[in-house]
Amino acid sequence: MPPIRSHEPGAEVAVKTMANTFFSDWYYLSIRNIKLIWRPLLALLPPFFMPIFFFAVNSLSLSALAKVPGFPDVSYKDFIAPVAMFTAIFFSAGNAGIEMVQDIQSGYFKKLIIMPINRLAIILAKLTEVAVQALGQGLVMLILLLIWGVHFKTGFLGVLTIFAILVLFAMAWSCISMIFALRTQNARLVQSMFILVFPLLYLTTSQAPKALLPHTFGVITGYNPVTYIIEGIRALVITGWGGHAVGYAFLAAGSMFVVLVTIVLLSFRKALK
Amino acid sequence: MAGNIIEVKNLVKTYPGDVKAVRGINFNVKEGEFFGFLGPNGAGKTTTINMLVNLVKKTSGTVKIDGLEISDNPDEIYKKVGFAMQEVGLDEVATAREMMQLHGRLYHMPKAEIDAQIAKLLKLVELEKVADKFTSTYSGGMRRRFDLALSLIHKPKVLFLDEPTQGLDPHARQLIWGHLRELNKQGMTIFLTTHFMDEAEELCDRIEIMDKGVIVTEGSPAELMKKHNAKNMEEVFLKTTGSTIGEEEVNANAPDPFSRARSGGRR
Repeated sequence: MPPIRSHEPGAEVAVKTMANTFFSDWYYLSIRNIKLIWRPLLALLPPFFMPIFFFAVNSLSLSALAKVPGFPDVSYKDFIAPVAMFTAIFFSAGNAGIEMVQDIQSGYFKKLIIMPINRLAIILAKLTEVAVQALGQGLVMLILLLIWGVHFKTGFLGVLTIFAILVLFAMAWSCISMIFALRTQNARLVQSMFILVFPLLYLTTSQAPKALLPHTFGVITGYNPVTYIIEGIRALVITGWGGHAVGYAFLAAGSMFVVLVTIVLLSFRKALK
Repeated sequence: MAGNIIEVKNLVKTYPGDVKAVRGINFNVKEGEFFGFLGPNGAGKTTTINMLVNLVKKTSGTVKIDGLEISDNPDEIYKKVGFAMQEVGLDEVATAREMMQLHGRLYHMPKAEIDAQIAKLLKLVELEKVADKFTSTYSGGMRRRFDLALSLIHKPKVLFLDEPTQGLDPHARQLIWGHLRELNKQGMTIFLTTHFMDEAEELCDRIEIMDKGVIVTEGSPAELMKKHNAKNMEEVFLKTTGSTIGEEEVNANAPDPFSRARSGGRR
């Protein structure tokens, strides 16, 4: 069937049909992917272990840090609460690539690409799964932190903003594992990108404010986008809406998202050739 | 007389490094025919079948399915063909019914039609009782039968089967053969590649044998046995095909975009 040009009769109907099928493909693939989050049910637990463990250990053992001159006038627990929320998402968003390799290895991915579906929907459905998972994990962490006595200074609106930053970052971070998946098609290599989490998480102001860090360490944190995301969330927990921290957090997460989604789409296109 | 539903002319696939997997083959498959496409490992069968379903881009030549050139109309072709691949490719954390529902949706079929197809196909492959169990719990034979049903959800006109009975015991093979005969009787064109010569002899109306990227002989099983003075198809196969020279070369160059994963990823 020749392509329908925009000035020809029927063009509007064809465009509407294309849009409908694109959204329908995206929707049904997303539903399938979202089910992967809780299948098996036990897979829901590991992402919470590390953030809860570190939050509990750090908030109990390092609480005296809050009394050091130069430390903000808040409890250490409130200071590292954003890190706990962030870490839960950081550790699990990389699963998107592992699931993708599993689908490639089983042959399921090939089934998808010989269907009359929009290929962009395959990637968007993966990002939707990551977003839903980040929301769910963020919500559980939020409840746990509230029970632990963490106070969110910016209230409900602040919490919504934190979730927006977390979801944006989770989708961006998942792209790195998907790039590994599409380029290597090797589960071990995709899993090994897990090691990136530690330098990215600890070469930041996650444990102490920049003013208390050694100079060189402080300079390094300035080049790490994760610093800006943690600082943005932290501002919403302990400081309030003033300053540029929230804006920088969106800028860091948004820039990562745009760049990494572009690379995923290019990798996908290359893999299909 | 039925027309050609598959028309292949001067089909060529050259992988990077100038590895010629398919060297200008020509053949037609008639509507309603049970067609066998045989050859030793590395002969270019899987590359050919992957080009016929547009999983691998051809280097040159034409492939028409039901009158449509594959590179110009991929989405239209995807609706017309079903493909049960060598790797069964099931979603391990979904049930058979869920997978069929999803695939029906992705082929943009109405819900009532999907439900009717699910009931009909699960009955055909005798898996109604396990339709709501996770596919990871299925035996090898059940997985193959379910994959066959899944590839038929959108009522394709042509069914491509790449070694559908590999790794199955004789009972499971017989079951699959029965399903395939039934589908062919209902008018479906079937394109089969297999390493089991008895399977090809038993099921196929016509067979083409490929070796080192070219077609070396073709005809009905009876014609081929007469032509090559052979007692059975296995003898025909051994007489018409050589060693597997070139296999390693071809396999080193992925026969499809996502085959590297089977060998543990990119080397």
